[in-house]
Amino acid sequence: MTHARATALLERYFAGETTLAEERDLQTYFRNPADVPPELASYAPLFAYWDQERQVSAPPRKVTRRLNWQRTLLAVAAALLLLLAVRGTYLWQQPDLTTFPVAERQPVDWSRHEITDERAAIRFLKTVLETTSDKLNEGPTITVRELREVRDILD
Amino acid sequence: MPHFTTIATTVRDRLYRLALRMVGDDGEAEDVVQEVLISGWQRRQEIEALDNPPAWLLKMTHNRAIDRLRSRKVRTTNERAAAPSDQSDLTPHRLVETADTLGHIHRLMQQLPTDQRSVLQLREVEGLTYQEIAITTGLTVDQVKVYLHRGRSKLRQLLLQENILE
Repeated sequence: MTHARATALLERYFAGETTLAEERDLQTYFRNPADVPPELASYAPLFAYWDQERQVSAPPRKVTRRLNWQRTLLAVAAALLLLLAVRGTYLWQQPDLTTFPVAERQPVDWSRHEITDERAAIRFLKTVLETTSDKLNEGPTITVRELREVRDILD
Repeated sequence: MPHFTTIATTVRDRLYRLALRMVGDDGEAEDVVQEVLISGWQRRQEIEALDNPPAWLLKMTHNRAIDRLRSRKVRTTNERAAAPSDQSDLTPHRLVETADTLGHIHRLMQQLPTDQRSVLQLREVEGLTYQEIAITTGLTVDQVKVYLHRGRSKLRQLLLQENILE
Protein backbone atom coordinates (compact mmCIF):
# COMPACT_ATOMS: atom_id res chain seq x y z
CA MET A 1 0.00 0.00 0.00
CA THR A 2 1.29 3.45 -0.87
CA HIS A 3 1.60 6.27 1.60
CA ALA A 4 -1.05 8.29 -0.24
CA ARG A 5 -3.53 5.42 -0.25
CA ALA A 6 -2.92 4.73 3.45
CA THR A 7 -3.52 8.39 4.28
CA ALA A 8 -6.72 8.49 2.22
CA LEU A 9 -7.96 5.26 3.75
CA LEU A 10 -7.29 6.55 7.24
CA GLU A 11 -9.40 9.64 6.57
CA ARG A 12 -12.23 7.49 5.26
CA TYR A 13 -11.75 5.08 8.17
CA PHE A 14 -12.33 7.78 10.78
CA ALA A 15 -15.27 9.06 8.76
CA GLY A 16 -16.77 5.57 8.99
CA GLU A 17 -16.75 5.12 5.21
CA THR A 18 -14.34 2.23 4.73
CA THR A 19 -15.39 -1.28 3.77
CA LEU A 20 -14.37 -4.34 5.75
CA ALA A 21 -11.83 -5.22 3.06
CA GLU A 22 -10.26 -1.73 3.24
CA GLU A 23 -10.12 -1.95 7.01
CA ARG A 24 -8.32 -5.30 6.71
CA ASP A 25 -5.85 -3.63 4.33
CA LEU A 26 -5.17 -0.91 6.89
CA GLN A 27 -4.76 -3.53 9.59
CA THR A 28 -2.21 -5.41 7.51
CA TYR A 29 -0.42 -2.19 6.57
CA PHE A 30 0.11 -1.10 10.17
CA ARG A 31 1.32 -4.55 11.23
CA ASN A 32 4.64 -3.88 9.50
CA PRO A 33 6.13 -0.79 11.18
CA ALA A 34 9.07 -0.81 8.78
CA ASP A 35 6.72 0.00 5.88
CA VAL A 36 4.91 2.81 7.70
CA PRO A 37 6.25 6.36 7.18
CA PRO A 38 6.94 8.38 10.36
CA GLU A 39 3.95 10.70 9.84
CA LEU A 40 1.57 7.72 10.03
CA ALA A 41 3.49 5.70 12.62
CA SER A 42 1.44 7.05 15.50
CA TYR A 43 -1.63 5.22 14.15
CA ALA A 44 0.09 1.85 14.50
CA PRO A 45 -0.77 1.37 18.23
CA LEU A 46 -4.48 1.80 17.49
CA PHE A 47 -4.43 -1.02 14.97
CA ALA A 48 -2.18 -3.05 17.26
CA TYR A 49 -4.82 -2.58 19.92
CA TRP A 50 -7.52 -4.09 17.67
CA ASP A 51 -5.15 -6.98 16.96
CA GLN A 52 -4.65 -7.49 20.66
CA GLU A 53 -8.39 -7.43 21.29
CA ARG A 54 -8.90 -10.19 18.74
CA GLN A 55 -6.57 -12.39 20.77
CA VAL A 56 -8.77 -12.20 23.87
CA SER A 57 -10.39 -15.54 24.48
CA ALA A 58 -12.83 -16.84 27.03
CA PRO A 59 -11.25 -18.57 30.04
CA PRO A 60 -11.47 -22.35 29.98
CA ARG A 61 -14.80 -23.66 31.09
CA LYS A 62 -15.01 -24.87 34.64
CA VAL A 63 -15.70 -28.55 34.41
CA THR A 64 -18.33 -29.45 36.95
CA ARG A 65 -18.30 -33.16 37.43
CA ARG A 66 -21.94 -34.01 37.61
CA LEU A 67 -22.87 -37.42 38.92
CA ASN A 68 -23.92 -39.60 36.06
CA TRP A 69 -26.39 -42.00 37.60
CA GLN A 70 -26.36 -44.46 34.76
CA ARG A 71 -22.60 -44.66 34.82
CA THR A 72 -22.54 -44.93 38.63
CA LEU A 73 -25.07 -47.74 38.61
CA LEU A 74 -23.12 -49.51 35.92
CA ALA A 75 -19.93 -49.21 37.99
CA VAL A 76 -21.66 -50.60 41.10
CA ALA A 77 -23.13 -53.47 39.09
CA ALA A 78 -19.73 -54.23 37.59
CA ALA A 79 -18.13 -54.22 41.06
CA LEU A 80 -20.79 -56.60 42.40
CA LEU A 81 -20.37 -58.88 39.42
CA LEU A 82 -16.63 -58.95 39.99
CA LEU A 83 -17.11 -59.81 43.67
CA LEU A 84 -19.51 -62.61 42.79
CA ALA A 85 -17.12 -63.93 40.17
CA VAL A 86 -14.21 -63.97 42.64
CA ARG A 87 -16.34 -65.61 45.28
CA GLY A 88 -17.65 -68.18 42.80
CA THR A 89 -14.15 -69.06 41.68
CA TYR A 90 -13.05 -69.43 45.29
CA LEU A 91 -15.96 -71.73 46.18
CA TRP A 92 -15.52 -73.74 43.03
CA GLN A 93 -11.95 -74.48 43.99
CA GLN A 94 -12.93 -75.60 47.51
CA PRO A 95 -13.91 -79.28 48.24
CA ASP A 96 -17.55 -79.95 49.14
CA LEU A 97 -18.37 -79.48 52.78
CA THR A 98 -19.68 -82.59 54.60
CA THR A 99 -21.19 -83.27 58.01
CA PHE A 100 -17.77 -84.16 59.45
CA PRO A 101 -15.35 -82.03 57.52
CA VAL A 102 -12.50 -82.31 60.01
CA ALA A 103 -12.85 -86.06 60.45
CA GLU A 104 -13.00 -86.55 56.73
CA ARG A 105 -10.09 -84.31 56.11
CA GLN A 106 -8.03 -86.24 58.75
CA PRO A 107 -9.57 -89.71 59.01
CA VAL A 108 -8.75 -91.67 62.16
CA ASP A 109 -6.92 -94.92 61.71
CA TRP A 110 -9.08 -97.03 64.00
CA SER A 111 -6.96 -100.13 63.42
CA ARG A 112 -4.35 -98.59 65.66
CA HIS A 113 -6.81 -98.64 68.60
CA GLU A 114 -8.17 -102.17 68.05
CA ILE A 115 -7.91 -104.36 71.14
CA THR A 116 -6.20 -107.57 70.28
CA ASP A 117 -5.55 -108.89 73.80
CA GLU A 118 -8.43 -111.07 75.11
CA ARG A 119 -8.06 -109.95 78.75
CA ALA A 120 -7.93 -106.35 77.86
CA ALA A 121 -11.03 -106.84 75.71
CA ILE A 122 -12.95 -108.40 78.62
CA ARG A 123 -11.83 -105.60 80.94
CA PHE A 124 -12.91 -103.01 78.43
CA LEU A 125 -16.26 -104.70 77.91
CA LYS A 126 -16.79 -104.94 81.69
CA THR A 127 -16.12 -101.22 82.09
CA VAL A 128 -18.54 -100.37 79.32
CA LEU A 129 -21.27 -102.56 80.80
CA GLU A 130 -20.78 -101.10 84.30
CA THR A 131 -20.98 -97.57 82.96
CA THR A 132 -24.07 -98.40 80.98
CA SER A 133 -25.66 -100.03 84.05
CA ASP A 134 -24.92 -96.94 86.15
CA LYS A 135 -26.44 -94.66 83.57
CA LEU A 136 -29.48 -96.90 83.23
CA ASN A 137 -30.06 -96.85 87.00
CA GLU A 138 -29.63 -93.16 87.21
CA GLY A 139 -33.00 -92.42 85.59
CA PRO A 140 -35.20 -94.47 87.90
CA THR A 141 -33.28 -93.24 90.97
CA ILE A 142 -33.98 -89.64 90.01
CA THR A 143 -37.63 -90.46 89.29
CA VAL A 144 -38.10 -92.16 92.65
CA ARG A 145 -36.45 -89.25 94.48
CA GLU A 146 -38.64 -86.69 92.78
CA LEU A 147 -41.81 -88.74 93.44
CA ARG A 148 -40.94 -88.80 97.14
CA GLU A 149 -40.52 -85.01 97.12
CA VAL A 150 -43.95 -84.62 95.49
CA ARG A 151 -45.51 -86.93 98.04
CA ASP A 152 -43.93 -84.90 100.92
CA ILE A 153 -45.34 -81.70 99.48
CA LEU A 154 -48.81 -83.22 99.13
CA ASP A 155 -48.79 -84.62 102.66
CA MET B 1 -27.42 -27.91 10.20
CA PRO B 2 -24.68 -27.43 12.86
CA HIS B 3 -25.35 -28.74 16.33
CA PHE B 4 -25.80 -26.14 19.07
CA THR B 5 -22.69 -27.38 20.92
CA THR B 6 -20.58 -26.79 17.82
CA ILE B 7 -22.02 -23.30 17.36
CA ALA B 8 -21.43 -22.46 21.02
CA THR B 9 -17.82 -23.68 20.89
CA THR B 10 -17.13 -21.65 17.75
CA VAL B 11 -18.69 -18.43 18.96
CA ARG B 12 -17.81 -18.54 22.68
CA ASP B 13 -14.69 -16.36 22.43
CA ARG B 14 -16.56 -13.72 20.42
CA LEU B 15 -19.38 -13.62 22.97
CA TYR B 16 -16.86 -13.29 25.77
CA ARG B 17 -14.96 -10.46 24.06
CA LEU B 18 -18.14 -8.52 23.42
CA ALA B 19 -19.41 -9.04 26.96
CA LEU B 20 -16.01 -8.19 28.44
CA ARG B 21 -15.67 -4.92 26.53
CA MET B 22 -19.21 -3.93 27.38
CA VAL B 23 -19.35 -4.75 31.08
CA GLY B 24 -15.62 -4.23 31.73
CA ASP B 25 -15.26 -7.10 34.17
CA ASP B 26 -14.05 -10.59 33.27
CA GLY B 27 -16.12 -12.36 35.93
CA GLU B 28 -19.29 -10.60 34.85
CA ALA B 29 -18.46 -11.23 31.21
CA GLU B 30 -18.18 -14.96 31.96
CA ASP B 31 -21.55 -14.82 33.71
CA VAL B 32 -23.13 -13.09 30.73
CA VAL B 33 -21.76 -15.71 28.32
CA GLN B 34 -22.89 -18.50 30.61
CA GLU B 35 -26.41 -17.08 30.79
CA VAL B 36 -26.57 -16.65 27.03
CA LEU B 37 -25.38 -20.18 26.34
CA ILE B 38 -27.81 -21.67 28.86
CA SER B 39 -30.65 -19.66 27.36
CA GLY B 40 -29.49 -20.72 23.90
CA TRP B 41 -29.35 -24.37 24.93
CA GLN B 42 -32.96 -24.19 26.08
CA ARG B 43 -33.91 -22.92 22.62
CA ARG B 44 -31.31 -24.91 20.70
CA GLN B 45 -33.65 -26.38 18.11
CA GLU B 46 -34.90 -22.92 17.21
CA ILE B 47 -31.36 -21.53 17.06
CA GLU B 48 -29.96 -24.40 15.00
CA ALA B 49 -32.60 -23.67 12.38
CA LEU B 50 -31.56 -20.00 12.06
CA ASP B 51 -29.58 -18.70 9.08
CA ASN B 52 -27.03 -17.03 11.33
CA PRO B 53 -26.98 -18.58 14.83
CA PRO B 54 -23.83 -16.68 15.95
CA ALA B 55 -25.61 -13.37 15.24
CA TRP B 56 -28.47 -14.42 17.51
CA LEU B 57 -26.06 -15.36 20.29
CA LEU B 58 -24.16 -12.08 19.87
CA LYS B 59 -27.45 -10.21 20.07
CA MET B 60 -28.36 -12.05 23.28
CA THR B 61 -24.92 -11.25 24.70
CA HIS B 62 -25.29 -7.60 23.79
CA ASN B 63 -28.73 -7.40 25.40
CA ARG B 64 -27.62 -9.15 28.58
CA ALA B 65 -24.56 -6.92 28.84
CA ILE B 66 -26.80 -3.85 28.46
CA ASP B 67 -29.04 -5.21 31.24
CA ARG B 68 -26.00 -5.58 33.47
CA LEU B 69 -24.83 -2.06 32.72
CA ARG B 70 -28.25 -0.66 33.47
CA SER B 71 -28.29 -2.46 36.78
CA ARG B 72 -25.06 -0.81 37.86
CA LYS B 73 -24.70 2.64 36.35
CA VAL B 74 -22.39 3.60 39.17
CA ARG B 75 -19.65 1.44 37.69
CA THR B 76 -19.53 3.40 34.42
CA THR B 77 -19.37 6.63 36.35
CA ASN B 78 -16.45 5.30 38.35
CA GLU B 79 -14.61 4.14 35.25
CA ARG B 80 -15.01 7.52 33.59
CA ALA B 81 -13.90 9.28 36.72
CA ALA B 82 -10.83 7.08 36.95
CA ALA B 83 -9.81 7.45 33.31
CA PRO B 84 -8.46 11.05 33.37
CA SER B 85 -5.81 9.97 35.85
CA ASP B 86 -4.10 8.25 32.92
CA GLN B 87 -2.86 11.60 31.66
CA SER B 88 0.89 11.45 31.50
CA ASP B 89 3.82 13.68 30.72
CA LEU B 90 5.34 11.20 28.33
CA THR B 91 6.13 12.42 24.83
CA PRO B 92 4.14 10.84 21.99
CA HIS B 93 7.18 9.00 20.76
CA ARG B 94 7.82 7.61 24.20
CA LEU B 95 4.18 6.59 24.54
CA VAL B 96 4.27 4.66 21.29
CA GLU B 97 7.34 2.83 22.44
CA THR B 98 5.84 1.97 25.77
CA ALA B 99 4.15 -1.37 26.12
CA ASP B 100 1.52 0.39 28.19
CA THR B 101 0.20 2.29 25.17
CA LEU B 102 -2.27 -0.45 24.33
CA GLY B 103 -3.52 -0.41 27.91
CA HIS B 104 -3.86 3.36 27.60
CA ILE B 105 -5.94 3.01 24.43
CA HIS B 106 -8.05 0.43 26.23
CA ARG B 107 -8.80 2.88 29.02
CA LEU B 108 -9.68 5.55 26.46
CA MET B 109 -12.09 3.11 24.84
CA GLN B 110 -13.88 2.86 28.17
CA GLN B 111 -14.66 6.56 27.92
CA LEU B 112 -16.81 6.02 24.85
CA PRO B 113 -20.56 5.65 25.35
CA THR B 114 -21.70 2.02 25.52
CA ASP B 115 -23.40 2.01 22.11
CA GLN B 116 -20.37 3.44 20.32
CA ARG B 117 -18.07 1.07 22.18
CA SER B 118 -20.08 -2.04 21.31
CA VAL B 119 -20.41 -1.01 17.65
CA LEU B 120 -16.66 -0.38 17.46
CA GLN B 121 -15.95 -3.71 19.15
CA LEU B 122 -18.18 -5.61 16.74
CA ARG B 123 -16.69 -3.89 13.70
CA GLU B 124 -12.99 -3.66 14.56
CA VAL B 125 -12.56 -6.84 16.55
CA GLU B 126 -15.24 -9.18 15.27
CA GLY B 127 -15.23 -7.86 11.70
CA LEU B 128 -19.02 -7.81 11.37
CA THR B 129 -20.87 -6.05 8.53
CA TYR B 130 -23.18 -3.13 9.23
CA GLN B 131 -26.14 -5.46 8.79
CA GLU B 132 -24.76 -7.99 11.29
CA ILE B 133 -24.00 -5.24 13.80
CA ALA B 134 -27.55 -3.94 13.36
CA ILE B 135 -28.97 -7.41 14.09
CA THR B 136 -26.73 -7.80 17.13
CA THR B 137 -27.36 -4.42 18.68
CA GLY B 138 -30.95 -3.87 17.63
CA LEU B 139 -29.97 -0.60 15.93
CA THR B 140 -30.78 0.29 12.34
CA VAL B 141 -27.99 0.09 9.74
CA ASP B 142 -27.93 3.88 9.52
CA GLN B 143 -27.60 4.17 13.28
CA VAL B 144 -24.74 1.66 13.18
CA LYS B 145 -22.92 3.82 10.62
CA VAL B 146 -23.46 6.93 12.71
CA TYR B 147 -22.25 5.25 15.92
CA LEU B 148 -19.22 3.84 14.14
CA HIS B 149 -18.30 7.22 12.73
CA ARG B 150 -18.84 8.94 16.08
CA GLY B 151 -16.97 6.23 17.94
CA ARG B 152 -13.92 6.39 15.70
CA SER B 153 -13.93 10.19 15.67
CA LYS B 154 -14.21 10.33 19.44
CA LEU B 155 -11.45 7.78 19.84
CA ARG B 156 -9.22 9.73 17.46
CA GLN B 157 -9.92 12.91 19.42
CA LEU B 158 -9.02 11.17 22.69
CA LEU B 159 -5.84 9.71 21.17
CA LEU B 160 -4.83 13.20 20.01
CA GLN B 161 -5.56 14.66 23.43
CA GLU B 162 -3.42 11.98 25.03
CA ASN B 163 -0.63 12.60 22.49
CA ILE B 164 -0.80 9.04 21.25
CA LEU B 165 -1.73 10.37 17.80
CA GLU B 166 0.18 13.22 16.27
